[in-house]
Amino acid sequence: MSPSKSDNLLLILLRLGAFGCFAGWAWVHLYWEGPYGVLLWQDATFALADRLGVSWDEFVGSGAQDGLVQVWHHRIGWLYLICAILTLTVRTKSRIQMAGLIGGSGLLVILSYAKYLSARQQLPMFVEHGGQMLIPVILVLALAFGVRHRATVIVASVAFVMTFAGHGAYALGFPCPTPANFLGMTSVILKVEAETARTILHVAGALDFLVCLGIFIRPLRKASALYAVIWGFLTALARPVAGMSLALNYWGADQYFHELVLRAPHFMIPLYLLFLWRTSEAFGTLTVPAATPEDNPDPQTCRPAAPLFN
Amino acid sequence: MKLIRLITLFCAAMLIASGAMAQGKKGKGNKKAPAALAIPELEKKDIICFALYTVSDEVLKLTAQLYPIPDGDTKTVRLEIEKDGEWVEIARTEAIEQGWTAPFRVEDWDDTRTTKYRVLHGDEASYEGTIRRNPVDKDEIVVAGFTGNSINAKHGGDLSRQDLIDNVKKVDADVLFFSGDQVYDHNRHYAAWLKFGRDFGEIIKDRPTLCLPDDHDAGQPNLWGESGKISTLSGAADGGYSQPGDYVQEVERAQTSHFPDPVDPHTVGQGIGVWFTNLNWGNIDFAVLEDRKFKTGPAGRVPKQGPRPDHILNPDYDPASVDVEGAILLGDRQLKFIDEWAQDWADAKMKVALSATIFCGGAHIHGNANGRLHADMDSNGWPQTGRNNALRGLRKAFAFHYAGDQHLATVFQQGVDEYGDAIFSFCVPSIANLYLRWWEPLEPGPNREPGAPEYTGDHLDGFANKVTNYAAANPEKTPAGNLLNTRAAGFGIVRFNTKTRDIEMECWPRNVDVTDPEAKQYPGWPLTISQFDNYHPRSWGKLGELSFDVEDPVVQLIDAESNEILYTVRASGKTFTPGAPKDKTFIVKAGKDAPDTIVLEKATVGSEAHSVTLP
Repeated sequence: MSPSKSDNLLLILLRLGAFGCFAGWAWVHLYWEGPYGVLLWQDATFALADRLGVSWDEFVGSGAQDGLVQVWHHRIGWLYLICAILTLTVRTKSRIQMAGLIGGSGLLVILSYAKYLSARQQLPMFVEHGGQMLIPVILVLALAFGVRHRATVIVASVAFVMTFAGHGAYALGFPCPTPANFLGMTSVILKVEAETARTILHVAGALDFLVCLGIFIRPLRKASALYAVIWGFLTALARPVAGMSLALNYWGADQYFHELVLRAPHFMIPLYLLFLWRTSEAFGTLTVPAATPEDNPDPQTCRPAAPLFN
Repeated sequence: MKLIRLITLFCAAMLIASGAMAQGKKGKGNKKAPAALAIPELEKKDIICFALYTVSDEVLKLTAQLYPIPDGDTKTVRLEIEKDGEWVEIARTEAIEQGWTAPFRVEDWDDTRTTKYRVLHGDEASYEGTIRRNPVDKDEIVVAGFTGNSINAKHGGDLSRQDLIDNVKKVDADVLFFSGDQVYDHNRHYAAWLKFGRDFGEIIKDRPTLCLPDDHDAGQPNLWGESGKISTLSGAADGGYSQPGDYVQEVERAQTSHFPDPVDPHTVGQGIGVWFTNLNWGNIDFAVLEDRKFKTGPAGRVPKQGPRPDHILNPDYDPASVDVEGAILLGDRQLKFIDEWAQDWADAKMKVALSATIFCGGAHIHGNANGRLHADMDSNGWPQTGRNNALRGLRKAFAFHYAGDQHLATVFQQGVDEYGDAIFSFCVPSIANLYLRWWEPLEPGPNREPGAPEYTGDHLDGFANKVTNYAAANPEKTPAGNLLNTRAAGFGIVRFNTKTRDIEMECWPRNVDVTDPEAKQYPGWPLTISQFDNYHPRSWGKLGELSFDVEDPVVQLIDAESNEILYTVRASGKTFTPGAPKDKTFIVKAGKDAPDTIVLEKATVGSEAHSVTLP
């Protein structure tokens, strides 16, 4: 594979990861509901709304009519959908679209923060959303500076570590208890007792942390990334596999499938890193060649020489 | 400008929420919450935390709840009773490490006398209490009811329970009923259960107590147990248990292993046991129901009607569309039990059903804001067919229904085919109210009592179930100040008079003295009904009066055409005038303790009085 083709592939991986994340959350907001209750359903929030001149009924609705809470909840869903489209349409010089994606990343930060608060401020909850929060940023960096640029790879690595460290902390049950649905999914899919599921999760949690270290150790980084691709995909797939059934309406797809889709960054970011390192070694260079429009017709990967993150 | 305001508002909301959560972790009041769940370092003499018991059919079941037994110490726990001034060991058992419970079962228990007991561990630990005599000679049996034991300081959960302890002692409750959510911590049931024991052990140790593990006890926000399935969906609306089976077993062992033996002890999925049973105490026959364990989860089974699989927001939806075939509420095993229980009036003058929640959607507004929710499938209003089957079974016994869970005290008379044709239910208020709800129908209810609030009267709940509301202890719209009572916290007391057959419901706020004549209950209470109001359809008429030669015979009404038993009940006194549907013919059976003699074969509404001599 030529460098330009491989760069295109890397960009596609990032686009797909970001698209899945935004599309999945758009589904949650438009079809179900976002996790903002902890932010909005507070007495103090109502009081503040009142002080800002937003009446009670305007804020929460009258029962018969939607209030700002319901209207904006729905609008946020549309924003996610727009961001999902932007992940496919954004190009190197699309500054506005890039800004839109950065805004989408901000939405994901707010969402992750709300989930963190809902989870009684369990830090792993926020941390494990690192991949989702950062993938729009990685995509924008890849477009702006190149898929092999140091900044792009650093942010991708941070996103990788956040995702797997957060997930690993939960699997190990430290510092927070292992979420019951982790055990449940493991038991249902592997048909094992809870005790065996606990053991499996402890091992998986330890491996999560090991791969976080592994990607910084050159001889181990490809193996670590490969493991992360597989494990990230399997854990995302676990939701629909454990929950979907022929007996349910739409086979339960409307309940579970988005859980796989919105976790696309969990396996797409490791896949990006895996291909990046694989192709870098294949090309035998640690820096991106000083490409020009003439020898690289794709403007997306046509960037000045930049050192590779290694 | 509006957008800026909105953005400001949203950012501020984040900060507020963050601050509130941080305060929850670090604030002065909330320091107590995590500390309260810390398992204290104890001397060996204090290793027994508390003990719960029931006596039924001459079987004593007592479970001692222990703090962790140190490695190397014996796990043997002994039970002694005082006989003629001497302590006599009557049982010993091994403490079960997962949850540190020590369950005892003693047969041939003499329930005609009050007996002091003590639980012993090692050479030092001793915990004393009293096994009460069966109060069969009391006219009034007092059952104190509680639900929702939040320990969160934000809702007043950290405040002392001493008022509850004092009031239970003052009314000398015969039975304690905790309908559910004794524990709100979803991961540390053992620690929270010890805390519950420290708070309530003083009254529990001396009287029969029934604690029904509900969703939060089992470690999840809602519970549709689906016979022990594993739930994997956030919110658990897919049905089943979120926590592993061994966790649930530990919860049930702690809270229910002192119950009378289950009538149908076959386990469900994940090895989770069942505990539905009956407790006969003071001539009251309590059916202890599991309204969560067998219930079907709605996710994917019913058409989506709202932003959550279990919530219906669309008021124009078709209620029949969610009453899907195969959806279970109590399940066949419990319905069979109820059917048999309803016909068995041995040593029983009144029947009471105990369950976690009530058989209807008992609230309109959920949460802190407007939160108008058309229907909530976590309630027992869904599935409607299962709800109607349960009510059809319970009304055959003229059972009164005592429950909790809703965080909103209410009294409803349920209707199946018409308004008011089934049992009354009393949902007690929460000990500390974690989540607010309001009963606030949009239209005034027809057939209200004179002067009663507009929210009373006949209504359809969100599942189109017929309900008649008699009282609702709605919290204030914007609770502030007194965290407990502005949030409508409190407890219930029900007085069952086995002589007059009256049932008096009391609904008390927190921190009042219930014996003080000046103390006020929540508006709408006290409320008194007759036992016979629990199956008294408005469309029915009366058969002729039956006069018996014995006191309080058991009477059964059977549809002569279909042979269906309409009801069985113990009459009060020597006369009884059976209620019955018009335009039908009935067989009436009666007997001293069981309806074993046919006394009328073609009775109809308006038929003549009849004198009966029982063999």
